[in-house]
Amino acid sequence: MRKVLLFSLALVLCIAGTVHAAPVEIELVQYKPEAFRTFDMLAEKFNRTHTNIHLTISSPNEPVTILKTRFIRENYPDIIGIGGDMNYSNFQDAELLADVSDYKGLANIKKAYIDILEGLEFVPTPGIFGVPYMANAAGVLYNKDIFDAHGWKIPESWPEFLKLCDDIKAAGVLPMYFGFKDTWTTLAPWNALAVDLAPADVCQQVNLSRTTFTKEYRETAEKIFALLKYAEEGPFAYSYNDACTAFARGESAMFVIGNYAIPQILSVNPNLNIDSFVMPGSDNPDGQTLNSGVDIMFCVMEASKHKDAAYEVLDFLLDPENIQLYVDDQNSVPCQTGTFKLTPMLDGMRKYIDAGKMADYQDHHYPSEMAVDAQIQTYLLNGDMNAFLERFDRDWVRYNRDIITKLQKYNASH
Amino acid sequence: MKSQNERKRTFLMIAVPILLLFFMFNTLPLLRGVMYSFTNFRGYGKFDWVGWRNYIDLFTDSRVGNSYWFTFKLALVATILINILSLIMALALNAKIRFKSFLRGMYFIPNILGALVVGYIFSYIFTYILPAITHAASMLADKNWAWVAIVIVCAWQSIAMNTLIYISGLQTVPEDVYEAASLDGATGWNKFRYITFPLIMPFFTINMVLCMKNNLMVFDQIMALTKGGPAQSTESISFLIYNNGMSGGQFGFQSANAVVFFIVIVIISVLQLRFLNKKEEQL
Amino acid sequence: MENLTVKEKFNWPVTILLLLGLFTVLFPLYMTVIIAFKQPSEMTNDVIGLLSFPKAWSFDNFREAMRVTDFWRSLFNSFLITAVTMIVSIAIHSLMGYAVARNMNTSKFYRFSYFYVVSGMFVPFAILMMPLVKQTAQLHIDNMFGVIVLYVVFYMPMNVLLYAGYLKNIPVALEEAAHVDGASTWTTYWKIIFPLMWPMHATVAVLTALGTWNDVMTPLVIMSGSGVNTLPLAQLNFQTQFGTNYNLAFASYLLALLPMLIFYLVAQKQIINGVINGAVK
Repeated sequence: MRKVLLFSLALVLCIAGTVHAAPVEIELVQYKPEAFRTFDMLAEKFNRTHTNIHLTISSPNEPVTILKTRFIRENYPDIIGIGGDMNYSNFQDAELLADVSDYKGLANIKKAYIDILEGLEFVPTPGIFGVPYMANAAGVLYNKDIFDAHGWKIPESWPEFLKLCDDIKAAGVLPMYFGFKDTWTTLAPWNALAVDLAPADVCQQVNLSRTTFTKEYRETAEKIFALLKYAEEGPFAYSYNDACTAFARGESAMFVIGNYAIPQILSVNPNLNIDSFVMPGSDNPDGQTLNSGVDIMFCVMEASKHKDAAYEVLDFLLDPENIQLYVDDQNSVPCQTGTFKLTPMLDGMRKYIDAGKMADYQDHHYPSEMAVDAQIQTYLLNGDMNAFLERFDRDWVRYNRDIITKLQKYNASH
Repeated sequence: MKSQNERKRTFLMIAVPILLLFFMFNTLPLLRGVMYSFTNFRGYGKFDWVGWRNYIDLFTDSRVGNSYWFTFKLALVATILINILSLIMALALNAKIRFKSFLRGMYFIPNILGALVVGYIFSYIFTYILPAITHAASMLADKNWAWVAIVIVCAWQSIAMNTLIYISGLQTVPEDVYEAASLDGATGWNKFRYITFPLIMPFFTINMVLCMKNNLMVFDQIMALTKGGPAQSTESISFLIYNNGMSGGQFGFQSANAVVFFIVIVIISVLQLRFLNKKEEQL
Repeated sequence: MENLTVKEKFNWPVTILLLLGLFTVLFPLYMTVIIAFKQPSEMTNDVIGLLSFPKAWSFDNFREAMRVTDFWRSLFNSFLITAVTMIVSIAIHSLMGYAVARNMNTSKFYRFSYFYVVSGMFVPFAILMMPLVKQTAQLHIDNMFGVIVLYVVFYMPMNVLLYAGYLKNIPVALEEAAHVDGASTWTTYWKIIFPLMWPMHATVAVLTALGTWNDVMTPLVIMSGSGVNTLPLAQLNFQTQFGTNYNLAFASYLLALLPMLIFYLVAQKQIINGVINGAVK
């Protein structure tokens, strides 16, 4: 009896299946909870226009923990939206990500960003493992009203920048506010200076024992320390949120941070007139580079059974119309070629973006457990540059031991 | 004799399934964790066996060394402070006071709030309000003082629970013992020292051990107040294990750290229990 | 009755000291409340601005916080997990405490069991986390049930310690009397010993409930991706690395605090009642 029932049930299901093909389920997990509204909207639009695929996008809090725990359970989504940082390197190294070099949409992605992804691989691997979607840019945000009122000009070299800071200070205005209590904020000026002053592949060079951080980071270390005297007293007492609040309330003329801070600043003061410029770390005006990295990219998981459907989702997300939608919502910079309307708050960086004169955040190559941000904070507190640089080199070898061995083995065999 | 057997059987039928459950969800994962401590596992993907490397690294890692020093300093000071204050609070709240229920309720509030929330509130107080009063820099920004701020927050929150345990201890002291003592002319400190304290000694033992253990495992307060800063001066052992093991890619190494930490805490607690139990017997 | 015959004399100096001491509790709470009522644009970095009242006492933040956290559903999940954990913990842990306390001195097995379970208290959660994620998934209990099972195991060491300690104060003579009357050990336990332990039940209930109510980590890693939220999980919505809405966050913390406060006040009565019962015997 039961068998018959089951059989007929299966039959009914089969018939239903042929008449009305169930759509392929695609699950996308993306790591920017602050962008959940935008993604919800995109998913809704996708499902409205596609009947063969049903797309679910989730934007969890604590996304990296959630992704890792899901990987432990071998419960993989089809696509993940992550940043171009160490997590990507680790996932790629763990062979969790599929090679997407056969994806046609890659042709329209700016080469600079594909190169950034290549640079993030521990060991050069043939293939491309992510489709860069949006970039972020870091440098100096400034209060346009204060600048205009005093007639200050945008500096183009390090001496000009110091001169500007002195002028601002002389005018009785605080040049910049730091939130160094949150150690990660020390990386904002660090990265912005390092892209101008150190080679982009310095970490790989060190892994191959071709140079040392003591040599390459000395100037960056000197210059980041020089900024302290232009900041509020005791910047180590204030958090990132405090710094955003202070800048939003016009308590400082500048804020060395990235475009990701703009929404938080505007939440305190929606009328603030913000613009930005590239941190002029080099003494030579032609030597400046914009600090820009992959803010979000899409990786198809190796375990996904529906690669074609996943590509169709990517086609949709990379549609210029949808990119513009995302850009308007999130003040981001698209990784795709073509003309898009960007937020005027990034006008000062536009020239560099268009020319592709940019380099990735150096900290994207630092293992998070090494806590370089905390080491920079320690250095800024005690001012002992030699100790800082020595420790950087020493700790680097210890925290990257397995990667160095792997890379050297690779180099020996290639 | 029959009833003796029945009693034994009942106890076994209670203990064995519970022990099995405990083994399943505590010991088994712990054993797996111990296994991972001999690998360079990231938490997912493939890994290699690395032998005792993680353990050797552990004893040469200055960051781990500093975290032990910080954690023990914090735990010792906080435990003593918390127990003295909670004992005083419990005596006061158990005295014949007006508004007893109201006061007990109010003083318990700190314990209801999650540690993260408390951390955020205090970080406001330490950053803006205290410096305005003392005209000194924020404690949280000074590597010599940040740990004191954490002690204060741990104490503020844990006193409530410890007080509650002491109160329930005080309630087990029968009223007539006091009356008898009063007739003998015992007052104030003597009454406490020779009558109350010995009677609540088991509660003191429990509080000391639990409090020490909680403080040794301090984590939330650090996440909310300092995130290990300034200058890495407030990195507790649990903070390192979680931060570098779960968030970072050092799961294997931090598993080794956790194994050693587990052994250390067990040893401390056993010593503590031995010592306090001996005292209990003496009293 | 006694209150009428012996005139109660209050200890006023202690009462006054305690009332003054309340400042240390109320001040941080005051900050929480005013921040919960303010708008992000009212947040400043100076003392006066921080301590001042919000411009308007509007409940908008609370409404918004309830919407963002899907308050009633999250509350229900949190409540379910906490209540079940608490009840199961009291039942199982007190039994274990009883079995251990009554046999520890005579049996090596129970002595070992006691130290074995209690030592579980010192295992850092971080080392168990990943293996547990895997294990619960393999057993298909990566859901609320699994979270409850884990809580019951996590709190076992501490609660067994507490119960075993408390039972030292309850004389064995009581049970022996019941045995003579022919009652089984099981019945004796539930009829005589369990009710005697009310003060400890209340303490265990409070400890266990608070721990589960505020816990983020366990549901986060065990139920990730299942779409089931608890209150602390939903509260993660308010803070990301790149921005925290303290106003909404604090409003929702206050909302989450109320059920626990009520629970504590009830439990506190139980602790006192327990003693009265004890006095009656």
